[in-house]
Amino acid sequence: MISFLSKIGSFYYREYKLNLSGFQDILTNIIFFFVSIFIFIFSIGPEKETISLIGVGIVWTLLLLSSTLSLRKFYQDDFENGNLLLMRLNGFSYGFISILKTFSHFLFVQVPFLLSIPIACILLNIANDKVVYLFASFAIGSLILSCLGSISSSMNLMNQRNFLLGSLIVMIFSVPIIIFSVGIINMEKNFYSLMSVLVGILLIVFSINPWASGLCLKLSLENN
Amino acid sequence: MFLFNPYKFNKTADYLFKPILFLSIILFSFGLLYSLFLSPDDYQQGTTVRIMYVHVPSAWLSLMTYAIMTLYSVAALAFRIPFGFIVNSAIAPIGAVYTLICIISGSLWGKPMWGTWWVWDARLTSVALLFIIYLIIIFMNLSFENRIVKEKVIAIFILVGSINLPIVKFSVDWWNTLHQPATISKLSKPSIDPSMMTPLIIMTFAFIMIGISIAILRIKTEIISRKSNLR
Amino acid sequence: MILVKDLSIERSNKKIFENVNLSLGTGKIIILKGENGSGKTTLLKSILNLIEPTSGSIYWKGKLLNKNLNDFYNHVTYIADKTTSLRKLTVQDNINIWKKIFLSKIGKSNIENILKILKLDFYLGQKVNSLSFGEIKKLELLRLIIENKKIWILDEPLSNLDKETINVVEQTFEDHCAKEGSIIFSSHQDTVINVTEEVIL
Repeated sequence: MISFLSKIGSFYYREYKLNLSGFQDILTNIIFFFVSIFIFIFSIGPEKETISLIGVGIVWTLLLLSSTLSLRKFYQDDFENGNLLLMRLNGFSYGFISILKTFSHFLFVQVPFLLSIPIACILLNIANDKVVYLFASFAIGSLILSCLGSISSSMNLMNQRNFLLGSLIVMIFSVPIIIFSVGIINMEKNFYSLMSVLVGILLIVFSINPWASGLCLKLSLENN
Repeated sequence: MFLFNPYKFNKTADYLFKPILFLSIILFSFGLLYSLFLSPDDYQQGTTVRIMYVHVPSAWLSLMTYAIMTLYSVAALAFRIPFGFIVNSAIAPIGAVYTLICIISGSLWGKPMWGTWWVWDARLTSVALLFIIYLIIIFMNLSFENRIVKEKVIAIFILVGSINLPIVKFSVDWWNTLHQPATISKLSKPSIDPSMMTPLIIMTFAFIMIGISIAILRIKTEIISRKSNLR
Repeated sequence: MILVKDLSIERSNKKIFENVNLSLGTGKIIILKGENGSGKTTLLKSILNLIEPTSGSIYWKGKLLNKNLNDFYNHVTYIADKTTSLRKLTVQDNINIWKKIFLSKIGKSNIENILKILKLDFYLGQKVNSLSFGEIKKLELLRLIIENKKIWILDEPLSNLDKETINVVEQTFEDHCAKEGSIIFSSHQDTVINVTEEVIL
């Protein structure tokens, strides 16, 4: 048991080292996020009312888009250099690998976005009391996005031709998340009911994730 | 069971194909005749109501095709019946075409009735998403090199999508009741008159028969191509 | 310890090999020989339970392998033709990560000795990306020592290595066998290692 826990610890040590060496990738993602906000503002004009009306929608859309940018690295690198196999031989089942990887993606890709939300809210004139709701909805929504990312990128491991398909799958599956999250911010009265729906979706996705990604990882490793 | 075994399916399909094709031609021509000329006009919608006889059956069938694919995915993944993969890759384009027919006829119907081609209503949004899911399945079919991985990944995707579709439906329902409740009343239907029900049922069966005959052809070619290992 | 019985594997209706029998006891070395595409890698992968055989069975300590998988994985090191070292990190980082992942108790001076023998000590602070292919392969073989497990399964361990390193590897193999370990590896070139069994696919 203790050895298993220390194996998990060493897995995250490895992820930390890897992400630290590729820190500029994460930074590029965040810069992409901000540049897209600028582009949005340039294209709709700088009127304060319009921006604050659709600001929340813009933030959510761009968060989704920029977090799908890094999807390709979710499993692909580890798959190609054999590290996924190494993890399996080290005693992790495929489903467990996918759970670990999902949390690692959440920690190293989504949390930086979480931290950059307040700045985006200042840029887009979103009222201060709404920032809290945006923050809460993204904290849960980003975990859902990580699970979906795990599913779609494990599906596309053996897909050599069409990498965009992975982002498409994530975007299709994340329609309800966008709807509920934006709903939360615009309807502050219903905060708890909508939040509980979002948590429900999280639980569904979280329970499918090890099964679906684990099966896809197993398939890809067996037929590689 | 011929529904789960490719060899028995081939044998049964040889017997059934010609009668089904014949039946589908007769039903379709009779149904078109009935629905376009013999059935009465609606007192509110006038003659545009005839779009319904194409729109509603294709909508039913687009969902039915997805349900069949889901069942076959479960059979293929859980009970290891490889025939399910064959059926999946064979009938996905059929479902996509039915969904496309449903969307196009729906917007043609919507323009004179609601004054707009498209409304962001729960039903419309989930049908649009269903169409995109079908397209993703077809693209996956084209873009994987390894057949074993491809068919299993597609089955997993179909299952995950089958969970997602109701969630999308309910979420948009919620979203609309929160923001713009006016659009929903446009879609709520009064009960249907029997003189309109008969051609609708005939057209539905015609669509089912057409779908089955195309599916038989596609499944047979799929079986042959797998035997000769073309892909 | 490992017993392979009448193993045959088919992939997309094509037979790769048929009725392979193997038994790997303690202190034994088995070499797999064969042309390219004869299924050496497939056999090794099926021993690791990564590929389901069409027929036949594999036993580990008298039990069926897939009933006893975790115990088997605790005793086996697999080195594939791919190199698992992380290219963006330095050699030192890679060694540290491996030591943590495999809960290795091997001492620092021990590793430094081996690095000196493999002539990798000079590159310790450099990124793996800047190493040559043969050096990356040597680094990969270092994992055998770090993992410190009984059974070694190696896929083409001798390719891309120079003569000196091959001698070192051969010496390591013999030492490992003397310590009651067992090795199964594939190779298409001749070696001077005292193999106990030769399987030709």
